[in-house]
Amino acid sequence: MVLLKNLRPPTEGVRLQQADTTAVLDGQKLGNGTLYIAETRLSWFDGAGLGFCLEYPTIGLHAISRDVSAYPQEHLYVMVNGKLSEENNAEMAEKAADEADDGVGSEEEDDNEGGDDGEEGGITEIRFVPGDKAALESMFAAMCECQALHPDPEDDDSDNDFEGEEYDVEEAEAGKNTHLLQLTTIDVQSDVYCRQRHRKLTQCQPVS
Amino acid sequence: MDENAKRTKETMTSESFISTSERTIIENSMVILLQGLRGEVTTVDLRNESTARGRVVNVDAFMNVRLEDVLYRDRRGSIVRLEDLFVTGRNIRYVHIPDHVDIMKTIEGELKKIHRVRNFGKEGGGRKEFIKKAN
Repeated sequence: MVLLKNLRPPTEGVRLQQADTTAVLDGQKLGNGTLYIAETRLSWFDGAGLGFCLEYPTIGLHAISRDVSAYPQEHLYVMVNGKLSEENNAEMAEKAADEADDGVGSEEEDDNEGGDDGEEGGITEIRFVPGDKAALESMFAAMCECQALHPDPEDDDSDNDFEGEEYDVEEAEAGKNTHLLQLTTIDVQSDVYCRQRHRKLTQCQPVS
Repeated sequence: MDENAKRTKETMTSESFISTSERTIIENSMVILLQGLRGEVTTVDLRNESTARGRVVNVDAFMNVRLEDVLYRDRRGSIVRLEDLFVTGRNIRYVHIPDHVDIMKTIEGELKKIHRVRNFGKEGGGRKEFIKKAN
């Protein structure tokens, strides 16, 4: 996570853009700006070109807070694994200046993400306070969707490699002779395609 | 709507965008138990020593958990009420299973739902387009 000048807001894959949003970083108000919830990363920019971006794998949780006794305004609470430090800031600013605007992550940033599990490096709390409180739910939902696009690549605990063991519909159905239908070539791999074909085929007459 | 149709409809709505690979992951891991906790109030212990207690809205194949009406206690002990919470699977240490939940029944129930989705529309066959013509 960096504070940079001259970073441009994302142009592609922006699920939600929320203007008139104040960002509060670890209790410090950064001012009013626009929040961009994009598929690649989360970013916030004030009108003057100052902003920061967050990579989804670094975000531990996000939530809607409407409890005004805890914090005076309704906001979107985001907890980021890792602390923002002054050194990090300077180094990342240099690296990012060299790299493409893509911001695919300097090595420094990757190290942080990789080595930090939230227990050593602590956490950073960010609050996004939109002017329009009714937008909180769509902001939350957009973040949920984008988070789901970034599953944990370092997950060694669960064996999720089931490439070869998927339920093979063709195998399972072979031998069942309830109806016989004219077949055309079907792509078994595509779930959506199969569902469409199923719909079309159920309209066909069975061939006896 | 009869009970069966109701359940199928509910399954289709909440799971209609799950890919085959996600479904396979769910079927082959204990995440399926957590999915059966939808609607239950439970506590999730996070890796950073904080806890979140609320009603389970959804758990996906990567163990990302969505809770509502949450009491979030950070590691210092201070409690905050949050309306909606999404915590990434990576940051979860434990999910408490409520005492009244029958674990085997829950898992079996979830497996039935998956098989119902997979065999949607069949009487005694499954996806008919995969039946090979007998020669």
